[in-house]
Amino acid sequence: MTSQEVRLCGLLLQEHFGEVVEKVGTHLLRSGALSLRALAHETNTPLDLVKKSLCVLVQHGMCVFGSGRRGPGGPTEYRCLVERILYTLRFPRYIYTAKSLYGDTGELIVEEVLQRGEMTMSSVVKTVADRLTHNMEDGRSMDYSEVISAFSSLVDTHFLQRCLAACGKGNAATSSEKTPNSSAATPESLTDCYKLPQINLRGRGKRRRSSGDSDVDQRGGKRAKLENKELCGDEGVFWQVNFERFHLHFRDQAIISAVASKMDQTSSEIVRTMLRISEMTTQPNAAYTQPLSANEIFRALPASYNISRSTLDQYLTLLVDDPMEFVGKSGDSGGGMYVVNLHKALANLARATLESVVQERFGSRSARIFRLLLRKRHLEQKQVEDFAMIPAKEAKDMLYTLLSENLVQLQEIPKTPDHAPSRTFYLYTVNQLPTARMLLQHCYKTVGNLIERRLFETRENKRHLEKSQRIEAILASLQVSGAEPAQLTEVEEMITAPERQQLEALKHHINKMDSSENQVDETIFLLESYISSTKTSH
Amino acid sequence: MPHVEAQQRAMAINRLLSVGQLDLLRNSSGLLYRLKDTQAASKMKGSDNQEKLVYQVIEDAGNKGIWSRDIRYKSNLPLTEINKILKNLENKKLIKAVKSVAASKKKVYMLYNLQPDRSVTGGAWYSDQDFESEFVEVLNQQCFKFLQSKAEAARDSKQSPMVQRNSSFATSHEVWKYISELGISKVELSMEDIETILNTLIYDGKVEMTIIAAKEGTVGSVDGQVKLYRGVNPIIQPTGLVRTPCGLCPVFEDCCDGGEISPSTCTYMTEWLDF
Repeated sequence: MTSQEVRLCGLLLQEHFGEVVEKVGTHLLRSGALSLRALAHETNTPLDLVKKSLCVLVQHGMCVFGSGRRGPGGPTEYRCLVERILYTLRFPRYIYTAKSLYGDTGELIVEEVLQRGEMTMSSVVKTVADRLTHNMEDGRSMDYSEVISAFSSLVDTHFLQRCLAACGKGNAATSSEKTPNSSAATPESLTDCYKLPQINLRGRGKRRRSSGDSDVDQRGGKRAKLENKELCGDEGVFWQVNFERFHLHFRDQAIISAVASKMDQTSSEIVRTMLRISEMTTQPNAAYTQPLSANEIFRALPASYNISRSTLDQYLTLLVDDPMEFVGKSGDSGGGMYVVNLHKALANLARATLESVVQERFGSRSARIFRLLLRKRHLEQKQVEDFAMIPAKEAKDMLYTLLSENLVQLQEIPKTPDHAPSRTFYLYTVNQLPTARMLLQHCYKTVGNLIERRLFETRENKRHLEKSQRIEAILASLQVSGAEPAQLTEVEEMITAPERQQLEALKHHINKMDSSENQVDETIFLLESYISSTKTSH
Repeated sequence: MPHVEAQQRAMAINRLLSVGQLDLLRNSSGLLYRLKDTQAASKMKGSDNQEKLVYQVIEDAGNKGIWSRDIRYKSNLPLTEINKILKNLENKKLIKAVKSVAASKKKVYMLYNLQPDRSVTGGAWYSDQDFESEFVEVLNQQCFKFLQSKAEAARDSKQSPMVQRNSSFATSHEVWKYISELGISKVELSMEDIETILNTLIYDGKVEMTIIAAKEGTVGSVDGQVKLYRGVNPIIQPTGLVRTPCGLCPVFEDCCDGGEISPSTCTYMTEWLDF
């Protein structure tokens, strides 16, 4: 892992879990695999704190452990997974996707599971029902069955999956069909990874009342105690978020929006249908989906788009002929067999990202040179000037700037065995994969910078924030104890107008930085998918 | 001339050659003689043989011109002689020197009344050895607007998608006609020139090209192919990285925590946040 990745992971760990976990986590990242003793010794933290931090990391799936270098007899070694820590950056996107697909219930379920790392189904259902009930109007409450149905739909579409038990965790009777764990088994290979346990959970969400009726409180208290003792029948079956599935969904979304902006809405709907049909049948890192016949696509199109069969064929032909090659034709049976070229689509999206970075940073003429080099692979200085129709002096300047930023490389082809400069060809070229990797590191650094700046701004304005919090607390207590409006206004005026403005500005800044972190994360996702897809296809 | 003997013929030819009325050429089957027209013959009066030789060499180079060193190789004359002869010929206005656009110090010589070839002067894009970038930009934008309006018209026509796409295409010939009719160019532009402009639009990512086979003889076809161009939309919006100040920062590499340039003190960020 690179220094930028480690720095970013450190910042994320600190934000979500605190300083101790950050210290332990970054040390583990830098040193690879360590045993518990070595870790405690090197980080100078007490052993029990180290144990607790490791527990937190393991709970969230960011740390794995296993027998170490000395074999099964020696101490277990712990390793931190960089990718899992970096996924915390993407949590808002996961929650938003769950909300758009499954509504508020889905959103809260995913949020709870993300926060706790792993949870049993019953605890998820109870917590979510309580939260939803709290936000509803008086007198209504959320039934557990609705939450259970949302949970099951999330599991059916593989957005949630069971956790593989760590060595030595006890299982309840219902999960007896669980296979013995082996480190080589992946969640996808276990068919009961998505099997819902039988739980007997009936009831409704509880509303948290600050000053409720006494009998409700009494009854609620008693019932709460009862429920704590109730076993819901799914102990030991923990659920976690299936990040890979979310990533596939994001990738599909990116491809569909690219098709929509390049061609038109109907083509993107067709591609969306194709991707939807092949959701379950395609391997995660496949270069293209399974072939789909035009008949299948026609049947699966949403009813609102009533286009005729011949129009569908025309659209498919147009998609195949498009230079971007999102869709390819793999045969003629069944009215034509079509595949979505996932790897090519990702490569095109990554290329568009690189071009956009060059364009925004250096101007559209440099972007022209960059695209020219991407197309023609290797060109001499003179040829670049001729093709791009840019005066020689300016073209030279731009090429050298791009070269110094390492976006463009120089390839020497000597004519003579001694590489005399006057007798050597110098060709400019762009390599997409290394450039994408370099930009990915830049993205990590940028997100780190944004987080740093956000923390800095919060620290700077700590005094104001504390003051405003105190005033709010005073106001709330005054309201509860029934004060006069005059007293309330007096308290409110304790915050002066410029301070109020400053607080507003601070809020605005922090929101802006948060949203830009999300935007950079989109770039990170595209580049990461492209790099991993290229790795597996070679 | 069958009635003249071979010897007499040879003598007559030699005399004419020495006076300069005949040109001696060689082709694969033997020697050929050509009558020089009298005007050209009178030009060379007063020049000696060396000058005639140099003049011949320059004439052979056609409209690409020839460099002085190459003249020396071809005529085997020493440099000083060559320079004297060239100066003489220039004064007599028989040859001229043209600066090459490729290497600005190099001068090529060619006959006075010939038009320099495109490779020397750079063609339509160069006027007096200067690249006319504004002209190219204007042409660029005009072509793009033409293709874009054609694509929009096709999209609004709401016909079947195949017809829509086909009608959004324009052949290079159509674009050439449009630009010529627009009359923004003082120089006559050929179809290849327009194609180079359209290629720059492709490298700008605004236009895509396909080649289809066409019957020989359809207007604008070159070797049985026709190039079609179409305006396209970009496939993604400007990416997230460039919406932050770090993505465009010129001192990105120097920035680190606690240094002089750091995220906490970054002025670009301050400006951006207050935006």
